[in-house]
Amino acid sequence: MTFEVENVSKTFVSGDSDEEVIALKDINLTIETGEFVSFVGPSGCGKTTTLRIIEGFEKPTEGTVKDDGELVTGPSNQRGFIFQNYSLFPWLNVIDNVIFGLNINGKPEKESKKRAMEYLKTVGLEDFAERYPSELSGGMKQRVAIIRSLINDSKSLLMDETFSALDIQTKHKLQNQILKICKEQKKTIIFVTHDIDEAVYLSDRIVVFSRRPGMVKKIFEIKMDHPRDRQCQEFEDLVSEVIEMIGEVEED
Amino acid sequence: MKKFRNEYTKETLILPIILIIIWYIVCDVFQLIPSFMFPGPTDVANSFVRLAVSGKLFKDVFDTLYKVLFGMLLASVVGITFGIILGWSKRLETLCKLVISILRPIPPIAWIPFSIIWFGIGIGPAVFIIFMGCVFPILISTIDGVHRTDPVLIEAAESFGASNSQMLTEVIVPSSLPYIVSGLKVAIGIALMCTISGEMIGSSSGIGYMILTSTSLFDTGSTVVGMLVIGIIGIIFDYIFTKIQERIFW
Ligand SMILES: Nc1ncnc2c1ncn2[C@@H]1O[C@H](COP(=O)(O)OP(=O)(O)OP(=O)(O)O)[C@@H](O)[C@H]1O
Ligand SMILES: [Mg+2]
Repeated sequence: MTFEVENVSKTFVSGDSDEEVIALKDINLTIETGEFVSFVGPSGCGKTTTLRIIEGFEKPTEGTVKDDGELVTGPSNQRGFIFQNYSLFPWLNVIDNVIFGLNINGKPEKESKKRAMEYLKTVGLEDFAERYPSELSGGMKQRVAIIRSLINDSKSLLMDETFSALDIQTKHKLQNQILKICKEQKKTIIFVTHDIDEAVYLSDRIVVFSRRPGMVKKIFEIKMDHPRDRQCQEFEDLVSEVIEMIGEVEED
Repeated sequence: MKKFRNEYTKETLILPIILIIIWYIVCDVFQLIPSFMFPGPTDVANSFVRLAVSGKLFKDVFDTLYKVLFGMLLASVVGITFGIILGWSKRLETLCKLVISILRPIPPIAWIPFSIIWFGIGIGPAVFIIFMGCVFPILISTIDGVHRTDPVLIEAAESFGASNSQMLTEVIVPSSLPYIVSGLKVAIGIALMCTISGEMIGSSSGIGYMILTSTSLFDTGSTVVGMLVIGIIGIIFDYIFTKIQERIFW
């Protein structure tokens, strides 16, 4: 078992007005090792907040998060995090960005660079290794950010709308790649998305969040084998079912 | 991102040429102003040749530059180091805030009396005054640079397991570098001003000293040479720092 989220609530107090925003209320979730779980729900319902609490960027107001039985007290290199916005280091070129985590953890640079080149090839960016982030398009930056996290072999990956800036071909390619990695390396993945088709294609379970305060409204379990056929009836039914559930949440 | 344009094209030469022509006509052709009040271009050119040939000009320029760079170096080491520490630690910044706010607006020249008491004659007082003038802009811009580090980059580094010292060297410092260089660019201008003022009061060498002494000898040509040399040194420093900024502003 990897993640245990127990009775987590989060209240934000905005600085000047002392106004309280209850972002999350009583979230309980258990996510097993090697599981692929998606968070979906209307904008502002607390998906990002939950993900940030699991990583340790944010402390819950109440409740606890455990990773492999250990209390999460801060970020760790065991939990890779891929941000919603571009988070590349602008002063480093692409390859140095990719090996940032390896460098930090004292891996030999030459080997790291070799591995980085292989990863860059898989996302079609091998010719951009020496470029700087400011010379890349949004989608290219995001691909670099993705492999920068993948290359670290963390036990889990937390991804916040990671694929939303990508064109459909790259998106599908990376979806398959992430799935492969998840299954082969038994990585646990938590994936926040607004793209229900994507959630159904990838996930073992889909967690639907309710509107503010964020609570777990429903959890869908998906038993279909991989690779999933987007055209089949079962797939399409699931997509509509999840969309319907989110629609219901929106009306609450 | 931002582009730093620093191009001196043919057009930028037009106005200086017109001004020199007017100056020449007023001072040399019609001699409307006596040369002890203000010299004409011919006087200035003569003084320049004389100072250059005797080697005095280069000695004074070297002397001034030496003080400027020495003072800047000390101010940079102190300003950048403390800037990073104070930018990083909210508590230390709060602790030092008032002291910095009070010391900062004091014009560097106000330190001249103490600089002479403490450092006597020679380059000591000038270096001290330059230091006092430069350390605050460098300190403030470094603190600012540290504060402006994108929190997402800090979190990204944390999620890769960066330690505090790695965070400093791998994220905070590179990300503040553009601000630090901007601070240095401002400081070098201040350093020039401080040096010249310092040399006019507590010194016996350098361009400032040359400007002052030549005026009292009614050699206003040399005074103008000194002033123009300062201007040109200023342009050169500005150009150098702009080039550095172009390189590090990604
Ligand atoms: N640092 C913060 N300070 C104050 N309020 C915050 C903060 N972060 C998030 N919130 C609030 O918490 C709620 C949940 O935000 P969160 O970013 O988790 O939503 P989300 O589900 O990720 O939305 P989206 O789909 O638009 O990304 C929102 O109402 C937001 O305004
Ligand atoms: Mg979000």
